[in-house]
Amino acid sequence: MTELSIEKLHNLLINGEISSEALIKEAIAKSYEVQKKCNAFVTIIENAKAVEVTDNLLSGIPYGIKDNYSTKGILSTGSSNTLKNYIPIFDATAVEQLKKAGAVAVNKTALDEFGMGGTGTTAHTGIIKNPWDLSRTCAGSSSGSAAAVAAGVYPYALGSDTGDSIRKPAAFCGIVGYKPTYGMISRYGLFPFASSLDTCGVLTRNVKDAAIVVDAMKKQDEKDLTSWASKDMHLYESINGEVKGKKLFYIKEIVDESNYPNISEELKKHLQIFKESLKKLEAQGVIIEEVSIDKELLKTIPSVYVCISCAEATSNMSNLTGIAFGPRGNGENIYEIMKNHRTVGFSPLIKRRFVIGSYILQKENQERYFVNAQRVRRLIVDRMKELFKKYDALILPVSKGVAPKLDELNDEINDESTVLLEEHLQIGNFGGFPSITIPNGMINKMPVGINITGNCFDDINVLNIAYALESQMNYKDMTAGDYRE
Amino acid sequence: MNNFTREMVDEYANKLLIGLTEEENKLVLKEFNIIDANMQLIEKFPDIKKIEPMTHALDSYEYELKEETGEVESIEIEDLLKNCGCYEEREIKVPRVIN
Repeated sequence: MTELSIEKLHNLLINGEISSEALIKEAIAKSYEVQKKCNAFVTIIENAKAVEVTDNLLSGIPYGIKDNYSTKGILSTGSSNTLKNYIPIFDATAVEQLKKAGAVAVNKTALDEFGMGGTGTTAHTGIIKNPWDLSRTCAGSSSGSAAAVAAGVYPYALGSDTGDSIRKPAAFCGIVGYKPTYGMISRYGLFPFASSLDTCGVLTRNVKDAAIVVDAMKKQDEKDLTSWASKDMHLYESINGEVKGKKLFYIKEIVDESNYPNISEELKKHLQIFKESLKKLEAQGVIIEEVSIDKELLKTIPSVYVCISCAEATSNMSNLTGIAFGPRGNGENIYEIMKNHRTVGFSPLIKRRFVIGSYILQKENQERYFVNAQRVRRLIVDRMKELFKKYDALILPVSKGVAPKLDELNDEINDESTVLLEEHLQIGNFGGFPSITIPNGMINKMPVGINITGNCFDDINVLNIAYALESQMNYKDMTAGDYRE
Repeated sequence: MNNFTREMVDEYANKLLIGLTEEENKLVLKEFNIIDANMQLIEKFPDIKKIEPMTHALDSYEYELKEETGEVESIEIEDLLKNCGCYEEREIKVPRVIN
């Protein structure tokens, strides 16, 4: 039953055809099965209790929480050894909101340590595997959430997105990943990575479910002064699939085959699937145009992202010392104790990121790296906002194809040939734009995804376009192994 | 182009109280060079210095002062100490800092 949509489960619960208790029991049992195969969880909440089913669509339905959300009385590690025993004394606002709605958390999902990675290989609990093919990555950082939703453990799991951490795992796992406009969901209780980019969001198996969950999570929160009032924005109720006359654009420098002189068969197929998706939208009266953006500007995206995110992360995570919380390090004096805690506790990848952040933040380097990156961030966002005056949304393929094999991964900065395909989702974080990935095809029995990004506060429009496209394809409510060529 | 060295990488790591292995140091050096090359590209953008740095995702962000209500939420010390690895009674224990 847990492979069904939220709407369907709610109807079954309301009609008394299933009980919340049975659903939770099933989700916990499936969690153990998926843990064996995919290593997707840090904690399985064995004693999760059924709740009363109300009119709220989420009541009584199980879900998963990414382990970088603070959960009162439940281990919350950020998938880091530096917090391996940390049990918060408060709930993140988003979690509190879902509790109020009657949602029942059944596990905490593993992630790339503190969200700082895109491969699902840096969690302190080990590598997270893709349920479609256990030899492949889920991408990251919301790897455990993506694996669990794709495996049908429950209809949704929470994610967070600083560069593409919800939207790329969604593509690699054949599900939906929705990052709303920055500040729609309070970040209070989300372990900070890069505060000017971090966004809470959700992974589901269809667009309407994503709207239902974010409707429940969002609120203006006095504990997060960057959150804004969205109470008059009813995402789920506003989805109607009417897209006739909408104008979309794609970026030539990312989509055109001529950009890839040594194009692989897989990328060729991925771009062909993308174009077929565009035709499906055009058949519904959507106008789609090709737009050219200065390639030199686009090429800076990964470095701008690395500079801003590493600098902010270095500052945000300076409180991880093992003194007031976290396992105490060894040493003769306070500096040795803190250094031991951080050296032993952090994975090699995030240590490297921190050192880059440290270098960038040195007084003599700030202007050249950090401030220039912030300037280019504005150039990119201004260009997008200019385009959003003319177009309702940007549409692009996600990544260069299907989830890579784990043994072929490379966590260094991407090589130049396909870097734009791999990194363009970061534009969504630069501008705080609402952005959603949905599955749009299969290549060699693995899913691929397509992304729709719109202007700030235009979440309804973005969801509606995604819903219209989803309705014309055969990938809604797909679970791993459910091959739909 | 900056000439990054192993020693520089270790120095910046040490400032953060982080130790790096040889391999980690090598990878940081490689990444420094990639970022630096891209920063050179950025410096060539016309009038880059005149552009206002973007520090926040939303332009429409408004700063609002919170009202002084006189009520401040506080957390019990006992609760805070629950995640501390080493404490005595109500205080965190650390080695002597001043000799």
